[in-house]
Amino acid sequence: MRRASRVHGGSVLSLPSARIAIVILAAVVFLMIFGSALAPQNPLTINANALFQGPSRAHLLGTDYLGRDVLSRLMAGTRLSVLTAAEAVGIALVLGAPLGVATVFLGRAFDFAANRVADALMTLPSIFFAVAVTAALGNGLVQAMFPVGILMAPLFFRVTRAAALEFARAQYVEAAELLGASKLHVIRVHVARKVLPTIAVTTAQGAAGALLAVSFLTFLGIGVTPPTPTWGGVLSSDLDYLSNAPWAPLIPGALIAITVGALNALADAFRDRAPRGRLAEPGQNVTTQLTPQPLEAADGRPTAA
Amino acid sequence: MSRLGGGLAVLIPILVLSSFATYSLGALSNSNPAATILGQDAATPAAVAKLDKVLGLDKPLVVQYWDWLTQAVQGHLGTSYFTQIPVSQSIAQRLPVDLSIATAAVILAVVIGGTAGTVAAIRRGGIIDRSVTVVCSVISTLPAFVVGIILVVVFAVAVHWLPANGYNGPTQGIGPWLEHIILPSLALALQVAADIARQLRTSLVAVLEQNYIVGAKVRGLPYRRVLVRHALRNAAGPALTVIGYDFPMMLAGAVAAEAVFSLPGLGQLLLEAAQTRDIPVVQGVLLVVSTFVIVVNLLVNTLLAWLYRSSDGVSA
Amino acid sequence: MAGQPPPETGAVRPETVLAIEDLRVTVHDGGATAVRDVSLTVRSGEIVGLVGESGSGKTLTCRAALGVLPRGVAAQGKITFAGEDVTSLSARGWERLHGSHIGAVFQDPASYLNPNLTVGGQVAEVLRVKRGLSRARAHEKAVELLTTVGLRQAGRVFHQIPAELSGGMLQRVMIAIAISCDPELLIADEATTALDVTIQAEIIELVKDLCDQRGLAVLFVSHDLAVIRELCDRVVVFYAGQVVEAGPAAEIIERPRHPYTQALLRVASVGDFRRRELEVIPGQPPHVGDRTTGCRFAARCPSVIEACRAGDIGLTRLGPAHEARCARVDDPAIAEASAAVAAVAPVAANGTRADQELANR
Repeated sequence: MRRASRVHGGSVLSLPSARIAIVILAAVVFLMIFGSALAPQNPLTINANALFQGPSRAHLLGTDYLGRDVLSRLMAGTRLSVLTAAEAVGIALVLGAPLGVATVFLGRAFDFAANRVADALMTLPSIFFAVAVTAALGNGLVQAMFPVGILMAPLFFRVTRAAALEFARAQYVEAAELLGASKLHVIRVHVARKVLPTIAVTTAQGAAGALLAVSFLTFLGIGVTPPTPTWGGVLSSDLDYLSNAPWAPLIPGALIAITVGALNALADAFRDRAPRGRLAEPGQNVTTQLTPQPLEAADGRPTAA
Repeated sequence: MSRLGGGLAVLIPILVLSSFATYSLGALSNSNPAATILGQDAATPAAVAKLDKVLGLDKPLVVQYWDWLTQAVQGHLGTSYFTQIPVSQSIAQRLPVDLSIATAAVILAVVIGGTAGTVAAIRRGGIIDRSVTVVCSVISTLPAFVVGIILVVVFAVAVHWLPANGYNGPTQGIGPWLEHIILPSLALALQVAADIARQLRTSLVAVLEQNYIVGAKVRGLPYRRVLVRHALRNAAGPALTVIGYDFPMMLAGAVAAEAVFSLPGLGQLLLEAAQTRDIPVVQGVLLVVSTFVIVVNLLVNTLLAWLYRSSDGVSA
Repeated sequence: MAGQPPPETGAVRPETVLAIEDLRVTVHDGGATAVRDVSLTVRSGEIVGLVGESGSGKTLTCRAALGVLPRGVAAQGKITFAGEDVTSLSARGWERLHGSHIGAVFQDPASYLNPNLTVGGQVAEVLRVKRGLSRARAHEKAVELLTTVGLRQAGRVFHQIPAELSGGMLQRVMIAIAISCDPELLIADEATTALDVTIQAEIIELVKDLCDQRGLAVLFVSHDLAVIRELCDRVVVFYAGQVVEAGPAAEIIERPRHPYTQALLRVASVGDFRRRELEVIPGQPPHVGDRTTGCRFAARCPSVIEACRAGDIGLTRLGPAHEARCARVDDPAIAEASAAVAAVAPVAANGTRADQELANR
């Protein structure tokens, strides 16, 4: 995301929703790096005398079923959640983007096959595979996010493919005018202007989905061993003790929702500020056989599946 | 018709891909099924080797995969390493739970989303339209399990109208069955309903501006008929594809719902099997789920092909 | 009011199917007046043509008569259909009239048909809904109608969707739908404009036949004088939202009395446009929001005088069924211009040989 904002410079920041989003996300990243250190209390300390307390001066967000400070737990849990979400997005980007560009130059047959495979992958629910992977490779978030990343790759594939297609077509027109060295320059400039913004949108959307996936997996108990705190894990235990503290799940729930919302808002801002043209809407350019895209591009985002 | 052909053509690679990936998981894992089955004490190398041969685990991966697949198509998905219960039996036991919820969720999503989208489009610019848009945006950012939790908090804990967990099959009485599936289905349905509503509104607004709506009107056809048989019929396409597209999300949501509402479904089965590294069960569940996804997509595509006979396909 | 002829001897007095009195149509939510002081009638068995440039108000008049004005557009005045005042008819009321009593055909037939349903199905639908026919009987009748409008292999055409048929065929389908419930009035808005010349001729013949056979009253809008001349019994000429001349077709075409009509005919009468110079009417019609007083054609009129701009010009009756809106209508100079037009070669649409033959038939 830092890379993307460099591409746009000031233009994205002009949108108020984007500004709020960036502030929120910056806070999250900050927490990720310094969370454990800055937490007011030790997230693991059990205090049998202070169970299910509401917000107070000592415990800004109250305490959980073991008397542990909720705020500290959530701050400490940020790192794991964010890093593993980033892992999934990274995998998706590394797998999908280069293939998307390559497919334009590797011939019809390859393109057709790649498209069908991408369609197929997009329809599969990643949670099931994530859980299945832990069966095979052990109970760890790192392994679990692998399938999430792989199943997210088609998104990047489509977006970069559309961008590459448009460029390839334009290239034939300009081919006559271009000489050797400047061609490379044009590619670089063109890529920077057209492809990066759309990748930025998809990255933001992908990050939102990946974060949801992480929260979901930790909610289900996959990937972490207690008492390590995670956002989803806190949510899950809150649910078990709902009658004691009915308001409790709203806190981690809100945290997840706000972060995801910020990522989506950022994605929308990137999209709105993208250069005009068909590329502005990822996912809309490529028609598929199995899952025709709805007219609205709002559903280009990956889901919690 | 070509859509159907395309749909079928994708069916094969997906199934092959996912089932192979699924099957390879077993090979990837370091677990030694034979050793697990025999138990620690009895797992001497000789015994393990012998059991391997019986289980067919000494053959090359591709052969094992093919055997598994051919057996699976006939309904034999292997046996759990731990409970010795045939996988297909475990799945069959739990499938009705997910099916009830998924079906109810789709119906709810279509009804809620369809109504909201239609009303928003007809009274475009009005207060209903704007509130629908806002509500949809909010719901879209909330994952199914968060929505589920909110619903539980509101309807089960705070107000005690509906049960917070558990499942009663329809054979034990339709009333309790419905009571138990309403909240989870609603949790699943809301996000899809929001997507449907948004998509339908957009398409319907565009369709209502088309000349053929005026044409239908000047033929003296009643308003309701024009709306349903001409406008909605043509505008529904993209909204329908939303269902196909959101279906994987709904499946994941079903797993969430099972967790939140303590329902004995496939998701729970998968989770338990993953924890105990019960590979055959995992493979079986994955295969069933993948097949489901493909079938739903195929159904959606067929419906679209039937609705839209003009070659430029969907909508206006 | 124009158009009250003496009763024909020996026949029942023809019924006035549509009567428009002092119609005024405002657009942009009342911001501008697009149609003013328009009055016309259509009688049973009569074909009335509305002629004028785009934006002259003929389409809006016809939409007002049909009750399908777009958003932000409102009509005032009095519109009567078969004696019933329909000026502020409710949606329900129009639902009752549409199809059963008034049929309509528009310019681009493909866009007025549902692209995803068979054309036959759309014909049958009207029959089932408005006439209560059973599915089987509606299917039968629909095929009959498709044959009546000239579609060969109607049984096969029934099962085709609009994308599979040509413009001419689709227009026949639209006509079939429009007349399916035996309406008293048919409104055709540029029905032949998008079709090529030979098909145009066939459609014109079709409309004439239907009119003769069923006593259908037809309001036919077009900017093509050749079509109007072939088809219409009476003509109403529109300019800048007003009626500038109205009367029997033969009189209007051969002895036009309004300078605009004269100019129109001069332009249209250029037989072979390769040989003679292109005749055009210099200038542009006034904008919709234009509020200048006086004759709205004054800026472009070759015979304009001071008096023309002095005040709004009313309609002058020139004969039992003929009237014109011109300050100089009785002036011999104008009459001379009229004679000059008549002397020129017969009206031809675009000057090709096929058209000359058509005109000579």
